[in-house]
Amino acid sequence: MREALPAHKPWFAASLWEWIFTTDHKKIGIMYGVTSTLFFIVAGLMALGMRLELFNPGAQYLKPETYNWFLTVHGAVILLWWAIGVWASFANFLIPLMIGARDVAFPRLNALGYWMFFAASVIALLTFIPGNHIMTMWTGYPPLSTMEGVGFAGTTALFVFIWHLTGFASIAGAVNFITTVISMRQPGIGFFNLNLFIHGIMAANVIQLLGVPSVAGAVTMLFLDTYLKTSFFDPARGGDPILYQNLFWFYSHPAVYVMVLPAFGIISEVVSAFARKPIFGYKSMVVAIWAIALVGFMVWTHHMFVSGIPDWVKILMSYTTLLIAVPTGIKIFNWVATLYKAAIDYKTPMLYALGAILMFLIGGLTGIPLGIPAFDIAVHDSYFVVGHFHYVLGMAVTLSAFAGFFYWWPKVTGKMYPEGLGKLSFWVVLIGSNLLYFPQLVIGLMGMPRRYYDYPPIESWVTLHHLQTYGAFILAFGILLALIALIKGALSGEKAPNNPWMSNSLEWRLPSPPPPHNFDEPPKVEKDYCPHGYCKF
Amino acid sequence: MKFLALLLISGLAFAGEPEVIARPYDLWDIIYKIWLVITVIIYAVVAIPSLYFMIKYRYKPGEREMGDQEHEGHWGLEALWTIIPLIIVLYLATHGFALFTQMRKPPENAMELKVTAFAWGWIFQYPNGKMVVASAIRDTEDNKCKPEDCYKVDGALQQYVYIPAGVPIKAVLTSQDVIHSFYVQPAGVTQDMVPGRTTYTWFQINKPGEYWIFCREYCGQWHSRMFAKLKVVPKEEFEKWLKGEVADLDHEAKKLEIANIDEKKAQEVVR
Repeated sequence: MREALPAHKPWFAASLWEWIFTTDHKKIGIMYGVTSTLFFIVAGLMALGMRLELFNPGAQYLKPETYNWFLTVHGAVILLWWAIGVWASFANFLIPLMIGARDVAFPRLNALGYWMFFAASVIALLTFIPGNHIMTMWTGYPPLSTMEGVGFAGTTALFVFIWHLTGFASIAGAVNFITTVISMRQPGIGFFNLNLFIHGIMAANVIQLLGVPSVAGAVTMLFLDTYLKTSFFDPARGGDPILYQNLFWFYSHPAVYVMVLPAFGIISEVVSAFARKPIFGYKSMVVAIWAIALVGFMVWTHHMFVSGIPDWVKILMSYTTLLIAVPTGIKIFNWVATLYKAAIDYKTPMLYALGAILMFLIGGLTGIPLGIPAFDIAVHDSYFVVGHFHYVLGMAVTLSAFAGFFYWWPKVTGKMYPEGLGKLSFWVVLIGSNLLYFPQLVIGLMGMPRRYYDYPPIESWVTLHHLQTYGAFILAFGILLALIALIKGALSGEKAPNNPWMSNSLEWRLPSPPPPHNFDEPPKVEKDYCPHGYCKF
Repeated sequence: MKFLALLLISGLAFAGEPEVIARPYDLWDIIYKIWLVITVIIYAVVAIPSLYFMIKYRYKPGEREMGDQEHEGHWGLEALWTIIPLIIVLYLATHGFALFTQMRKPPENAMELKVTAFAWGWIFQYPNGKMVVASAIRDTEDNKCKPEDCYKVDGALQQYVYIPAGVPIKAVLTSQDVIHSFYVQPAGVTQDMVPGRTTYTWFQINKPGEYWIFCREYCGQWHSRMFAKLKVVPKEEFEKWLKGEVADLDHEAKKLEIANIDEKKAQEVVR
């Protein structure tokens, strides 16, 4: 027996010094979570600014360059800090607990990854200094981003460094999580009784490992083109701007599965826990996750259907794109089947998870026509696309992230959140989001182009923009309520039991909050262990 | 209410008139309606059972505390909801393929219109060499204007783009500086305009009137004001205008001078 550890000090009692030099996966997870959420709030406030500007046609409060800066930062931050970064938080905190490990495989690399992410955050904040704004949009297409003076792209270097640093953090995290899950599982936990959340994170991290180098190379060439006047993307000197788009989307399309597969994982965890029932079709869920990750690498040119690429490529990628609907459909049908003969306990996380399923379905169904070139040609780069990916990212990802926050809040903080306020926040968020995103689909079908700071005073467009702005403020109020519920819970909630939701998963067998070294003794995993009682093979 | 009415118009306008207003929008309309019907059906197939289960299988203390632990999969059902969506998407992709092939093929008798984009506007060149400039803001000043003034055609730098009704137009597209895009609203065609590359699209508008052209690829500060007004006129009138017999089909004589100045400006822009 080792010497007994000093009395458990909960993570929130740690000093600043301990936070900075920690290699504890739980502390790093919390730091990721706090950083992601703060940036989510910043990006959300910028979106409110844009919605105010778009309330009526004509120039109102913002200059066009300010609007374009807001839009660029909103896009980059929501994607890189929120939709990707927040999963690093969940993965860090939960993976070692779920597989019965004391920490991740490379704790120092993990800390380095976070501080790279932090450095990227500092760079993102630098873009708020006047004169340093980035106005390239989050895609940063050349030649706009490589040309000085024309079109006002802003400081391309900061855009490039954001990609490099978040990319480094992603790769460090991916190496770490993949190694941890492969080599540090307790005996008795295998591929087919792993938590579905871990499958989601693993698939996402394999994508990160294979994809990030492509976008890192693309932005590096962008940097060289801009500042050292190389000509990778300069058509006047033999380069090709379309090359950038290929390299960029080769990562950035699979990246949407980096954002959404962990969300699917959380939905599966939450739904089976509150339905008090094994998840339906566990094996097909696992196969679906990995199929999405694999096929996700073969669909990127659907972002370039109107870029001037050959028509046969469009047709090929049209088939592969639509094929992704099949595994995605399997997941949705399996979730619905899980509800059959269940005993559904409507706690806040369950509401968020069910909302995420039904809203993701709209996101998925509006994504299908965008994969058909014959349809896409009329709505490419329109608000229809904006509506589609906000249903996926703004609804499926954000609702699942909040489902995860509420679900694991007792484990992380050791306190229960206020249930009533949590439920209220869900309904406000759901109503606000739909009022915001549904009109985007409609106005997109009418032809409204995306990334517009101003629009012609067409009567129906004005009405639809009014609705969106009202929706945006309702949504913001809902998010505020959710954050208040979480913070109030952490500060003054009731003490949480070890396993408030009666889940079978390993992390719930620990005290809340977990002690610094997680498991003092390696946890005994029973022979037929199943995280949700779902794997009796 | 207004919103609901809009939804009805945009979403469920199946009782549209049979005449084709624009091509290839008629082909787009086919795939749009098929998609919409399939989507509504799939949403109902998922949402109705979900809502039913959500209401029926609620947790009730003492009565229903645990779900059915044996109900954890069914290969038949899982195969069913793999195969049916697979058939649906293969059908959609194949039908889309067939339509797309038609959409990309300009008719033989198409009139060629050369369009060159710049930040922020387009230069249109007709087969006989006549040029029209549709330019949004050329300077970088903060252009505050009333909404109705921002998007009007002033005749100086922003001119009407005339095309004949019922004649297919093949637009051959390129760009001078950054990537722009060319979207003809009633025809529902979008095509990027890439520097160093020539791309094309084609469209035909049968109903005379005024329509929008927008840039849809982000191109910097005034991307949102990069628009042109398309004026579709009967073929005979268009011929007259093209030959220069009429300066402007609004029959305002004073615009004749402006048109001449514009020719010079257009030449300058082309360089």
